[in-house]
Amino acid sequence: MANSYAILIAVLLFPGGLFALALGLTLKGADRRVAARLQGRVGPPLTQPFFDIVKLGFKRTMVPDTASETVFLAAPLVGTASMLLAVALIPIAGVYNPDPQIGNLLVLLYLLAIPGVALMIAGSASGSPYGAIGFSREMALMLAYEGPIVLVVIAVALRTGLAEGHFPTFSLAEIVHYQQAHGAFVLDPVMWPAAAAFAFFYPANLGIVPFDIPEAETEVLEGPLLEYSGPALALFKIMSALKAVVVLSLGVALFMPLPLTGGVGLAAWVGQQLVLVLIGVTAVRVSRGRMRIDQAFVFFLKWPLLLSAASLAVAAYYTAGGAL
Amino acid sequence: MTVLARLKNLAARSPWLYRINAGSCNGCDVELATTALIPRYDVERLGIQYCGSPRHADIVLITGPLTKHVLEAATRIYAEIPDPKVTVAVGVCPISGGIYRESYAVCAPIDQYFPVDVNIPGCPPRPPAIIEGVAKALEIWRQRL
Repeated sequence: MANSYAILIAVLLFPGGLFALALGLTLKGADRRVAARLQGRVGPPLTQPFFDIVKLGFKRTMVPDTASETVFLAAPLVGTASMLLAVALIPIAGVYNPDPQIGNLLVLLYLLAIPGVALMIAGSASGSPYGAIGFSREMALMLAYEGPIVLVVIAVALRTGLAEGHFPTFSLAEIVHYQQAHGAFVLDPVMWPAAAAFAFFYPANLGIVPFDIPEAETEVLEGPLLEYSGPALALFKIMSALKAVVVLSLGVALFMPLPLTGGVGLAAWVGQQLVLVLIGVTAVRVSRGRMRIDQAFVFFLKWPLLLSAASLAVAAYYTAGGAL
Repeated sequence: MTVLARLKNLAARSPWLYRINAGSCNGCDVELATTALIPRYDVERLGIQYCGSPRHADIVLITGPLTKHVLEAATRIYAEIPDPKVTVAVGVCPISGGIYRESYAVCAPIDQYFPVDVNIPGCPPRPPAIIEGVAKALEIWRQRL
């Protein structure tokens, strides 16, 4: 029983639930503020995303006549629930280790796909033509970026398993421990291409410029989110804030866990995420335009796939024959 | 102050604007876009965002004299905006019809069809006037939450 309480706390309080939500919204606020500064504006307060969520809580949720009501209202719940669980699966170096009973890296991969699927379902259930366009774009984009991310994960698993002298390991805790002892993978030339591929995966998964094609506000009016209002829309905002934390902390766990513990480790982990957001998202988003869906599709099947495959091939070569 | 009142104060800091062009000559719309886009006024510092979907809107800005042709569409879009909402009429056209008054094709004044809370007169109103009007709308909106 004690064990299940621990899991519940991990999902609802720390590092999932409240903590991840606060972190995700603050990262979003920092992103908006720094973007405004880069454009020569004052920008919204750091806590603006919190205000938005509270505001949406006071509004009414309307369901369009053409929508399938149950599916329309269930989609944001499913997406948010999957992200709550996903945060609890990712270790924070030296601070938090997930219970191996909840799952491993493979489960996490499946959970990571659910918000995208929830958006697709939301778009198609809303009965709006813009939602349908958003649905088809989200699907095309997912097909393009899911391949590379699987290869990235397998490359990291192979690399760690090989170094530990057994089969690929899909335990994130083991991957983090190995890197804490032997240096982060981001310093290992074999893993550089995989890390680069992951950097492209991040904005695509979160729907950020240049890959915000499914939710393009100026083209398809936020696509799947067009018909959502009030608390249901707030749930989607919460989902994307949690997803930002999940994908960022997955990147940190796969490539750059620090050999620190306790409060310092936690502060450093948050700092890593903030730096990644400001460099990888804000700077890119204010200086780049949106890609078309066909460009993004070809881009992902070209560069990230090639890069992750390169890392995987080298890691597999050493597993088969030589030593690293 | 109760928790609910505190939350309402927080919520009032996130107004999302939606624009309905009810047959305007686009003069007011250009001013709205100017207010929104140029860094000098930076309305995002007040938490203001323009949104593309009426379902996300809190404050509605209506421009134009409400032509007969657009009346039905404008009424339908207005009904799609979830409560609580505040209606702001931008420009002189929604008040009297402006240069289109006495035309057979306009339904101005628009408060026959929409419950207008704030009027921002001008042809077109300048950005500071628009910001002041939205600030007044914000006060009304805070009470309606």
